[in-house]
Amino acid sequence: MANNQPENQHPLHKTTSFNDAPKLDAVADDANLTPPLPPLLQTDAALKSLEDQDQNNQNQHQDQPQAREEKEKEKEKEEEEKKEVEEEENTKEGEENTEVEQSNNEPDLHYNLHTILEDVDQFLSTPHGSLDREEDSVVQIPQFIDKFLDLVDAKIEQYNNDESNAKEKECRVPEDESMFLEAVDRISKLKTAIHEMKLEEDKNSLINRIGNTQQRAISYLEEEFRFFLEESRNSDSDPAADTKGKQEQDRSALPDNESDQFQFPGYSDEIVNYLNKIAKQMISGGYESECCQAYMVARRNIFEDALLKLGFEKHSIDDIQKMSWESMEREIATWIRTIKQCATILFSGERNLVEYVFSSYPPMSASLFSNLTRGIMIQLLNFSEGVAMTKRSAEKLFKLLDMYEALRDMVPKMEVLFPEESANELKTETTTARTRLGEAAICIFCDLENSIKADTGKTPVPGGAVHPLTRYTINYLKYACEYRNTLEQIFKEHSKIERADSTSRPHFEGEQAPQYNSSIDNQSPFAVELTRVMEILDSNLEAKSKLYRDIALSSIFMMNNGRYILQKIKGSADIHELVGDTWYRKRSSDLRQYHKNYQRETWGKLLGCLNHEGLTVHGKVVKPVLKERFKGFNALFEEIHKTQSSWIISDEQLQSELRVSISAVMIPAYRSFLGRFSQVLDPGRQTEKYIKFQPEDIETYIDDLFDGNPSSMARRRT
Amino acid sequence: MDGAHEQELEDLELFQKHVSERFSDLLPPPPSDDISSDPILSIAWLRKLLDEFLCCEAQFKALLIMGRDPSQIVKPPLDRLVPEFLDRVVKALDICNAVLHGIESVRQFQKLAEIAISSLNQRPIGDGQVKRARRALNSLITSMAVEDKDFSNSKSTERAWSFGRRGGGGVSTGNATPQHKDRIAGQFRSLSWSMAKGWSAAKQIQAMSSNLAAPRGGESSSLPQTVYLMSTVLVFVMWTLVAALPCQERGGLPTNFPVPKQMSWAQSMIGLQEKIAEEWKKKEKKGSGGLLEEMQRMEKLSQSLIEYTESFTFPLEAERAEEMAGQVGELAETCKKLEEGLVPLQQQIREVFHRVVRSRTEIVELLEYTAKASSPIV
Repeated sequence: MANNQPENQHPLHKTTSFNDAPKLDAVADDANLTPPLPPLLQTDAALKSLEDQDQNNQNQHQDQPQAREEKEKEKEKEEEEKKEVEEEENTKEGEENTEVEQSNNEPDLHYNLHTILEDVDQFLSTPHGSLDREEDSVVQIPQFIDKFLDLVDAKIEQYNNDESNAKEKECRVPEDESMFLEAVDRISKLKTAIHEMKLEEDKNSLINRIGNTQQRAISYLEEEFRFFLEESRNSDSDPAADTKGKQEQDRSALPDNESDQFQFPGYSDEIVNYLNKIAKQMISGGYESECCQAYMVARRNIFEDALLKLGFEKHSIDDIQKMSWESMEREIATWIRTIKQCATILFSGERNLVEYVFSSYPPMSASLFSNLTRGIMIQLLNFSEGVAMTKRSAEKLFKLLDMYEALRDMVPKMEVLFPEESANELKTETTTARTRLGEAAICIFCDLENSIKADTGKTPVPGGAVHPLTRYTINYLKYACEYRNTLEQIFKEHSKIERADSTSRPHFEGEQAPQYNSSIDNQSPFAVELTRVMEILDSNLEAKSKLYRDIALSSIFMMNNGRYILQKIKGSADIHELVGDTWYRKRSSDLRQYHKNYQRETWGKLLGCLNHEGLTVHGKVVKPVLKERFKGFNALFEEIHKTQSSWIISDEQLQSELRVSISAVMIPAYRSFLGRFSQVLDPGRQTEKYIKFQPEDIETYIDDLFDGNPSSMARRRT
Repeated sequence: MDGAHEQELEDLELFQKHVSERFSDLLPPPPSDDISSDPILSIAWLRKLLDEFLCCEAQFKALLIMGRDPSQIVKPPLDRLVPEFLDRVVKALDICNAVLHGIESVRQFQKLAEIAISSLNQRPIGDGQVKRARRALNSLITSMAVEDKDFSNSKSTERAWSFGRRGGGGVSTGNATPQHKDRIAGQFRSLSWSMAKGWSAAKQIQAMSSNLAAPRGGESSSLPQTVYLMSTVLVFVMWTLVAALPCQERGGLPTNFPVPKQMSWAQSMIGLQEKIAEEWKKKEKKGSGGLLEEMQRMEKLSQSLIEYTESFTFPLEAERAEEMAGQVGELAETCKKLEEGLVPLQQQIREVFHRVVRSRTEIVELLEYTAKASSPIV
């Protein structure tokens, strides 16, 4: 019924026309003007129940605008019926109203923001004469429009006054928010509609009036928006700490099970909903820029605070260059943690939030999210750029690799998280930063070659023990091989870069690129480099072994170091695989060769003393020669014992292998020598003088060898 | 050796000639000349400057890295000059970052200006629109000033505007009380990203230029001259960027740094430096936002439009409306320039960043390699 009524027959039009309201222009300005209407407080309680209903409806339907529209249509029908009754009453009251209105101070108990919205809706849904069609008749503006604006103005005034002394209210969404938001919505719609209408009078003052109220209303909403973004978060929403209770609360209220991710932004559902509605009103009212800027500034500050809470602090690249390694190590650990938090919790939380708040405006939420995360990512990447530029040193390798891995693992997540456009840009930036880390890592790793080559000390390690360089290098390599996949990846990527860009790097081109290419047995570039380092270590050790004047000792030295290397390789499947079986077998046989050399060098001489040849002339033992032999043996054995018990073989197995193999040669030889010749000597003094050792003694003394305890024989004998 | 030496001298001369030509292209043409060129310190001009920088940088890198005698680089005086140069490069990287943040701020200024433009373009124009425009313009002016001021305390420790809940809505009135001004200032303190606490563009420029001295006497052979020339170009470009764009803590930015008056290649640079320094001094007096031509224009137009909005009464007279529309049109044109220019400028600065990092890495590697090659290895 109501819908079919021509607008100039609306009951209220008869009583007052738009022009009769002289206060229109005066009301326009600002908060210091007392609104003409009494405060709405008395009606608030009544409103509340209605609102609650309303809000429920809205909550149910806000993801389904279509359903909501339908619902609203139904509602409209119902209300139409209701209105017919009301209208009758209205006409009765009409006369009273005119009187009161003329005094410009009518209490108008009938109208409140809630009821008047229905009239506004009706006005909006009625077709009106359009500017473009001459035949259309001029639109009469109903008087309640003016009233409506008054009510909204008063409401804003009330809100503003409430707020200045309502700190205790803190972060509660105002109770009548949904009605106010609807009112703002109608204002925006009115503004658009009236622009199009053919109005009887100069429509500009009405447009001015509407624009003014809209500006005040939306400014208020903007403050609300900012305030709730800034202040309404759970104060303890430390992104790292899960607040279980909160999580569950969220889950029950939110439609999807991503709800637990809301814990980072840390707003309650009620507030997120409120923010969503405000954003909708601001944007549909044409205040998109203000809305986005407020959102961006607030969220950026909050996000940066979250990073700060994680311990991530900004450093200039200049400062990073000057940082001590200890503090850099700490900062790197924090950085890695931060990157991971961003990838797992923070970014997705941020994305959920922005998508929820700007749910009706996907391009806007995408651009806000990109801008925000881009800024954060650039900041994070900046740190890694700075670190990659610092002076290279061996101890940094593993931290750089950790960083490299963190960035590498970030990239696939970005593809999921970011809108395509910013994902591409950020992927490029991340890849660049990662490549720099990779390059630095490679330089450090390859620098191992140089530090091995540069280790040219002239002092041999006492006792032929494992050289510190061997320990250092092998342990370093072993540790590096824990990053095997990463290093393989870096080396592969790097060798590509090397080739692409080799003109500017003359020194690399000649030295390494061809090596990488000549992967004879399909070794990866990293494996090639690793083998290279091993070889360089080897030749360095060989040079070092020459520092020993005693050839036997230099064999022991080589054995010790070789054994150490093989044992370590045996213990690490990765290195073993990388160097390959062939290499391993070759090194084992090298070791056996050193063993043989040693045996020959030391024990070959001693065995010479036990040679039966030249002792007998015509089947008769020549005593003085025998005595000399015994003397020689004793002296030599004592000498060997003396020196070689101070030699060191720390590998127990090698030590016992050696002892066993020595005993296996010496004891039978000595025993048979003794058996054959001992009775030649006179028993007593002579025997005592020349046969100093029983075969068992020999065994005992051999067991003293390679213990690193010099001259123990004397001790034992006394 | 002599042949190589001669070649190096020739290279240096060529380098100097190029630098000199490039920078003289940047000089504003004499007023009598009516060839239109990009005004000094405009976005287009800055982009040209960065182009020149990238060219110089490429040429420099070629001269230094592809140098015929790499061992020179680890011998005096280069063993001191090159590390000094590398240190300047590091500082330049931070400046690039700070300037990128500055561009982000300019983009925010642009958005504010656009709010004002779209509000003031509405017809009929009413109080609401005017208020909205005034608010945006006030924010613009305030934040321009704020971006320029003390950044050192980050907003997380000091948030000047977290007074009263929701701020009493007074902002919508447009009558900015001192409190409101504070509030706006606080709000825009962090319109864009910031650098590390305590980082200061002025100090970095100071540090970059303090040990910048022309090599003398025996040291003035070709490579040291080349490094010195590149250092000067680097410092000049960074100094210009800092002067032009909002930048964290640039109060006390040196207005002159040593550019050798006697060198022919330096003449255009000296000319530019004097011009920019003059502008900078004016700016410091006024306390306005930055020397970027578009920003200055925006600031001027905004201030004048604020006056319009303050004296606005509804309905607007046709004559005033026309005047205002003219200014709004100009502001819109400036915004269009920003819209078109800021992204490319940003990308170019990013490119400068990456290029400089790349070269630095190569120089460092060359240094290390040469150092190792010249120390005996057994």
